[in-house]
Amino acid sequence: SHIQYERVGADVTMKCGSMDWDAAVTWTANGTDIDESHLNGSYLILKNVDLTQSGQYSCYEGSSWHLKYQTYLRVGTPPKEPVLMCRSHNYPKGFYCSWHLPTPTYIPNSFNISVIHGTREMVCEKDAFPKNRCHIRYLQLFSTVKYKVTLTVTNALGKNSTTLTFDEFAIVKPDPPESVVAKPVPNNPRRLEVSWQNPSSWPDPESFPLKFFLRYRPLILDQWQHVELSDGTSHTITDAYAGKEYIIQVAAKDNDIGTWSDWSVAVHATPWTEEPKHLTTEAQVTETTSASTSSFMPPPTTKICDKGAVVGSGAVAVCWTAGLVLAAYGVLFI
Amino acid sequence: SPSAALRRRDLCSRGIRLAGKMRSDVVDLLDTYVERQGLDASASVSAVEGVPAAAVERWDEQTGTQRLLENLAAYRAFRVLLAQMLEEQREQLGEADAALGRALAGVLLQVSAFAYHLEELLRLESRGPPSEEGAGPPPASHLGLFERKLRGLGVLRELAQWAVRSARDLRQLTKPSTGSSSAPSLAESP
Repeated sequence: SHIQYERVGADVTMKCGSMDWDAAVTWTANGTDIDESHLNGSYLILKNVDLTQSGQYSCYEGSSWHLKYQTYLRVGTPPKEPVLMCRSHNYPKGFYCSWHLPTPTYIPNSFNISVIHGTREMVCEKDAFPKNRCHIRYLQLFSTVKYKVTLTVTNALGKNSTTLTFDEFAIVKPDPPESVVAKPVPNNPRRLEVSWQNPSSWPDPESFPLKFFLRYRPLILDQWQHVELSDGTSHTITDAYAGKEYIIQVAAKDNDIGTWSDWSVAVHATPWTEEPKHLTTEAQVTETTSASTSSFMPPPTTKICDKGAVVGSGAVAVCWTAGLVLAAYGVLFI
Repeated sequence: SPSAALRRRDLCSRGIRLAGKMRSDVVDLLDTYVERQGLDASASVSAVEGVPAAAVERWDEQTGTQRLLENLAAYRAFRVLLAQMLEEQREQLGEADAALGRALAGVLLQVSAFAYHLEELLRLESRGPPSEEGAGPPPASHLGLFERKLRGLGVLRELAQWAVRSARDLRQLTKPSTGSSSAPSLAESP
C-alpha cells in the first residue's frame, strides 16, 4: 500500500487518484468521513499537519462508493544531528559505537556508519541487539593514527550526520568491577573487607592489568573517602566509624591508558559490633589507609551521641557535639 | 636454568616499571616541547622517516623473540633520534631553554636504559642481541627549522606509544606459556 511522509506543519494536498477535480468524492480518515470543509473539489487539503493526523486516508467515488485512492499518511520530522559515542570496554579486542537521536522523528530512520583509520575503511558490524550499535575489531594496536567515525541518519524527510575523531587510547573505558562484596571483620569494629572482580568484558587482565578506585562513606555523611589501588582486587578499610552503615563502590581503569569506568553497583556493610551493644575495653589501634581522609565534621546543628561507638579503653560513650571538629581518632570523655 | 628464569623475570618487571616512568616523562616532555617550540598540540604529523612506528597488526600473535627484537630496534632508533633532537635544540635555542634540554636528556637516558634491558633479555636467549647497525635514522639536516620541529613532535608521540606497547610486550613475556597460546615463551624460541 502507498505510504506518504510529510513534515509536521506542512500543508498536504491529496488527489483522489485519477478522478477529475470536480468529481463527487468522499474522503475518510481511518474509516471516519472527513468533513467537506477540508475539500477543494475532489482534493483533500490538510493544513499545518500534526502527528495526530497520521493514518489511513481513503477516497471513494460519490455514488458508487468505489475505492479510488488510498494512502497511509505518516507525519514526522527530518532527523536532528544524531548523538554518537564510541568506546572500548574490551581492549585490546576492539571497540563499539552506539548512537541515538536526540528527538524522535516519528517515522522510520536508517543509519549508516563509516569508520576510517588513516586510509583504511573498516567495517563496523551491526549488533542484533541493541539495534543502534555496531562493533569493530582492532586490526592494529598502538597506532598514533586517529579513527574517524561518521554516522549518517536518513529518513524520508531528510538526513543528518555527525563525526567523531579519536585515537585508540582515548576511548578505552572498562566496564565497572563486578561482584563487589563488603563484609565486616569479626572482632574489628572499624574494619570492612571489600573484594571485587575484574569486569568480565575485559579480555586479558594479565597483560592489560586494571587499577581500581574505591570510594566509601557512612550513609549519614555526604563526603566520600577515596583509595586508589594499583593492583589486587581486595582492600580492607580500617578507619570505618564503628557501628555505622557504609556505602561502598569501586571503579576500574586500565593501568596506562583511557578513562575510569562508571562506579560499580553500590554495596552496603556495617562494621562488626559486639552483641549486645555494650562498651568493651579494647585498645584502639589508629590506622589509616586512606589517600585522602576527611576529618569528621558533624553538621553544625546536630548532636550525635552514640553509645555504640567504642573508642579508646574503658567504659566510654562518645558524644560529638555541634561545633567540635574531631579528627577521626579523637576521644571525648563524658 | 632457574637463575636465568629469575633474571628474566627481574629484568621484565624492572623493564615494565621503567616503561611506565618513561611514558609519563615523555607525555610531560611532549607538553613542554609543544609549548617551547610554538607548535599546535593537535597538529597531525605524517609518518616520519626513520621513526619506528609502534603500530602493529596481530600483536597478540607475536613471539617473545619478535617482541624483544622489534622493541630493541625501536629504542636504538629513538636513542639516535633523541640525541639528534638534543643537538638541534642546543644549536637552536642554546642555553635559553635549559629546561627542555634537561627533559630531553632525561628521556634519552631512560631510552638508553630500556634498550640495555632489552639487550640483556635477548642475551638470556641463546641468540643474543643483534649488533647495532652503523646506519641509524638519517639526520634531519636537509629539513628546515619548522619541519624539524614537526619531526620532533612525531618522534615524541611515537615514543609515547612505544612506551605503552613495551610495558604490554614485557607483560606478555612474563606470562607462563600454557601451550594453547600461539606465542611461545622465551625458552621455546629458537
